[in-house]
Amino acid sequence: MSIQSYDVKTTSVEVHRMPATLSDVIAGADRMELLLAAGSATYSICFIRNVTIEGIVPYLRYRFLEDGVLPLINYGGFGTLKQDLLDSGSPLNKAKNDLIVTALMIEELDPDFGFPQWTGTRTLEILKGFFADLEESEHPLIALNTLLLPNYTATGTGVSTDSNDTANEIDKLNNFIRGWANKRKDRFCLIDWSLISRRIGESSSMDYRYWYLSKSPFKREFLDQLALSIRTIMRSISGLTKKCLVLDCDNTLWAGIIGEDGLNGIKLDGHEYPGRIYYDFQKTILHLIECGVIVALCSKNNEKEVFDVLDNHPWCLLKRKHLSAHRINWLDKATNLDSLSRELNLDLKSFVFVDDNPRELSLVKQLLPEVTVLQVPNKLYQYPNLLVREALFDAIVVADEDKLRTQFYQADITRKNEEQKHAELKGYLTSLNQVAKIHIASDGEIARVAQLTQKTNQFNLTTRRYTDYEIRCLAEAATSCVYALTVEDRFGALGLVGVLIVKLQGDIVFVDSLLLSCRALGRELEVSFVLECIRDIHTKWEVSGWESEYIPTSKNSQVSGFWKSMGFDVISKSASSIRFRLDGRQPSLLPPPYIKISSD
Amino acid sequence: MQEVEIQVRNVMEKVFGISGLEMPADTSQKSFPRWDSLMHMNLILALEDELGIEFSDDEIASIVSLQELIKAVGIK
Repeated sequence: MSIQSYDVKTTSVEVHRMPATLSDVIAGADRMELLLAAGSATYSICFIRNVTIEGIVPYLRYRFLEDGVLPLINYGGFGTLKQDLLDSGSPLNKAKNDLIVTALMIEELDPDFGFPQWTGTRTLEILKGFFADLEESEHPLIALNTLLLPNYTATGTGVSTDSNDTANEIDKLNNFIRGWANKRKDRFCLIDWSLISRRIGESSSMDYRYWYLSKSPFKREFLDQLALSIRTIMRSISGLTKKCLVLDCDNTLWAGIIGEDGLNGIKLDGHEYPGRIYYDFQKTILHLIECGVIVALCSKNNEKEVFDVLDNHPWCLLKRKHLSAHRINWLDKATNLDSLSRELNLDLKSFVFVDDNPRELSLVKQLLPEVTVLQVPNKLYQYPNLLVREALFDAIVVADEDKLRTQFYQADITRKNEEQKHAELKGYLTSLNQVAKIHIASDGEIARVAQLTQKTNQFNLTTRRYTDYEIRCLAEAATSCVYALTVEDRFGALGLVGVLIVKLQGDIVFVDSLLLSCRALGRELEVSFVLECIRDIHTKWEVSGWESEYIPTSKNSQVSGFWKSMGFDVISKSASSIRFRLDGRQPSLLPPPYIKISSD
Repeated sequence: MQEVEIQVRNVMEKVFGISGLEMPADTSQKSFPRWDSLMHMNLILALEDELGIEFSDDEIASIVSLQELIKAVGIK
């Protein structure tokens, strides 16, 4: 997928406002495209639809080009869903698409829709057949739309007693669509039209004039929301989703200043104004933690007073156990954020920083432009939705491991303390008692493996992004292998932290991907991992040699010398890739003595 | 050139990404292949945005040339 060398141009993502007129959206997108460097990332999207969706193009182009990505857009025919899927020459099948997006209106699915006594039975059958065909196809990622609910009821304001109420029927169909996507998260995701139209309303969603003129049903706000949803999917698959939420405390987690107002003076009470606003904001943080977002504090306070709120305030939902790190001191925020990034081993580009003080934020913006900064809104009632509205943390797949991430990082704090005790690295690594399990990725690990390919930027030799489905295909093919590395040490489990994908090309094994989660860096696990995989491959395949690759990005320079250090020689070199070859079957390198390889 | 014509040409310039002033006076959907039905929709919506006017559905369906467009905008 061409997205592999993807890099965000705009480093500080604030909510970009769309230009006010369509002509400026089009001209703005054209201007951004002209500025795009040659060889920039592209992302191909194919709409399968039964209505005119072409009106989305200006918005899709604008939103993608904001990220420095050129969208390549094509369409299936009108209402030729089945043919599009089966015909190998259709736009859907002709080229490989990164994403398939459905755009289906109930009006065009079932000609009986809108008549009295209509039920969703026939539509359900159509959708079932169509979705099954999609599942059979080889498209790596498919976004399904939900159907729009009617804005009026035929029975007037009275409560409908008719069990075949249209809204009710469409609800059932939407539940089917959501359920379908939910059960097949590895390949299907949702673009929830009905949610979007509920949020922005009929008058901003529906363009009845163009619906009747040319079957083009949507107004610009709706089209822009669709474009943003599609961009969120692209970002999430390209490792651009934010990973770490850093929060100021006073007037950010609660109203008031703890150092002056005291524990009983700050406002956080869920029944009062403005306490409830902050209480609700904290609820959204808990949701993000559930999805694997790392949370840290960065505030100018006395540490003891802040932890007093977290430990003892009856309405404070954020607790000590939710934090992966903190900087509560009187240093400037930029210095603190920079040191948090080093402690957590996370790129500043994956940071979102929330603060109420515009001065602090502008300092951070100036010194660390890669951090996304969000200010507590002046219209305080908009605050609770701040984080969800931006969709910055949206990931399309949440693996089970995500829910445990905070624990990993907390165990890491203990590890770091240990690290300081051992001046010498080898002594420290020995003291960790690391046990590595290196194995073919199991069925249950596919989602986590795909996620690592999507999110890992630093220790990633080729930065190839894969969907669950693609990993599954690689795992099942006879000519490729997907290896996983799981690690534990005396502080606890690190989980699945490494992936190596090899492909058999003739009698040469090519290392397609090698990556290590940032929480496993600096422990020489990569050496054990590669040596063990090479050993294992030789027991499976008859091979004469090994080849590998390094594809440079702005984030992975730390691994540029990795293959050389493993005894591989450079065989070709271009600006976009360096290829290596290993003479002989095994590197003449000894495995690090402080990592035990577990055989079970 | 009338004010209205300049406004229309300015919008066309942005929507089609070409210099609006170089467009011949007799430009029409027939003579200018990029002015297809999708671009027509964008053009109409862009003119409405920019000039704060609204075309009737009849007008949208019947306008096929630059001159007709200028005339329709002129009477708004």
